[in-house]
Amino acid sequence: MGIITVLWEKWTEFKRDFYKITLAAMISPLMYLIIFGMGIQTTSHGEPYLNYLIPGIVAMSSMTGSFSAVAQNMSVQRLYEKALDQVMVSPTPLWQFIVGQIIGGSLRGMYSSCIIILLTMPIHTGLIFNLKSFAILFLNGTVFSTIALVLSFLAKSYADAPKYNAYIITPMSFLCNTFFSTDQMPLGFRQVIALLPLSQCSTMVRSIAGGGEASYFGVALLLVYLLIFSTISFLFIYKKKNL
Amino acid sequence: MIELRNLTKTFGDFTAVDHLNIKIETGEFFGLLGPNGAGKTTTISMLSTVLLPTEGEVLVGGQPLTRKNSEQKRKLSVITQEYSMRQDMTVTEVMEYQGRLYYMPKKTIREKTDELLEFAGLSQYRRRVVRHLSGGMKRKLMICRGLMIDPEIMLLDEPTAGMDALSRRQMWGLLRQINDRNLTIVLTTHYMEEAESLCDRIALIDHGKLDTVDTPANLIRDLGAFAVDEIEENGTIISKFFTTREEAIAYLSGLGSQATLRNSTLEDVFVERIGSHLMKR
Repeated sequence: MGIITVLWEKWTEFKRDFYKITLAAMISPLMYLIIFGMGIQTTSHGEPYLNYLIPGIVAMSSMTGSFSAVAQNMSVQRLYEKALDQVMVSPTPLWQFIVGQIIGGSLRGMYSSCIIILLTMPIHTGLIFNLKSFAILFLNGTVFSTIALVLSFLAKSYADAPKYNAYIITPMSFLCNTFFSTDQMPLGFRQVIALLPLSQCSTMVRSIAGGGEASYFGVALLLVYLLIFSTISFLFIYKKKNL
Repeated sequence: MIELRNLTKTFGDFTAVDHLNIKIETGEFFGLLGPNGAGKTTTISMLSTVLLPTEGEVLVGGQPLTRKNSEQKRKLSVITQEYSMRQDMTVTEVMEYQGRLYYMPKKTIREKTDELLEFAGLSQYRRRVVRHLSGGMKRKLMICRGLMIDPEIMLLDEPTAGMDALSRRQMWGLLRQINDRNLTIVLTTHYMEEAESLCDRIALIDHGKLDTVDTPANLIRDLGAFAVDEIEENGTIISKFFTTREEAIAYLSGLGSQATLRNSTLEDVFVERIGSHLMKR
């Protein structure tokens, strides 16, 4: 029930800011597609670079969409509007609030990914986006929603949210198998990058898009991230002395 | 009944609330009065579970109040100092969100929203976004939101802060009507007149410590119901307090300088009890 309340709150926000949310979800990925995919026409692994780029950008969009939906919303609610107080004092179990945020954030991430898939449809790349892809994107969204929750609880001021974006989301956007393969990275660094959630998501979405399968290891790793960050979120909301 | 038992909150080396022991009876209008930084808001934040105590506990109806205790929290409604609500929601969305957080059926949410917005004079602003409401309207909306759930206890942290005199008096009327519903109200305020006019009992707190708890009338009587203000040559006003009018008049008649006789107020109690501590520091 509390989960539905949070999803209702997210839905009212989505309806109200539909154009802003949609435009924000479109602009950066579109720029990347135009510049790297159409402007600089190359091939990767013997295929048009666009076929490599689109799944990466779809995965990246699920990350940025989920992260920004939760980080921005929670930081504003906790530090600026103090609207979190309304939830804290209510009888809605706080775990339901957290789960609602995770699902709501992930759905926003999926919305961003779907926009990119729709926009690239006329290109006729032959890429496949099926239920498995969406399941991976949803899982990736839940991971980044929980990361956003943890960082929102750690934030000391409203200005911290953009910092987290700059230190975590931007580097991942470029390095995690989105624009180029991690195989080209130096040994050691490559392995570390490969273990990041977006690298796994990009790899799996790309594999499915090319007619392959998602790896069990990738799904397991995303689930581990989800478990770790959601546990920290629950601990924060129940145990953090000063929310 | 609400009981604060040894309630303590520290932030690093700073003790904001220091072993506070207060019992608030059911249906009571209770005031927490103190200077800036006295620990009033911290106390309210611990009552709303936004802050967890470093030591001690809050009991509601004999049961400890915790973040997990949904049944205890169902009885509480908090109106914080800040406009703690989604600024991008409309008035009705704010009310609906509150109703949903308290598991109210949709029909009840609609009916209560209509009734409360009418009660607070906000009916014509129901589609307005919170951000575009005046400060006074936001405060009224917070009261409506607080009443949406038929709480047993209302915690009001400076509900009239920043309001003009007229809006403040309207709010007092609203709060009196609420208290008539046998709600327990805990109010923090800077306005002495407000506390004197509304509260059954008042706790004076300073630097997180309880100074005294009593009714406004008793606090004034203990200080002396009559005050003589003596204006010195440099413009400083020195007040002296007397139990009877006769004593005050006798003192006044012996004064050479300019002086006036008046009834003592809660502000005098505050200045004498808390102000003198502040000046000594």
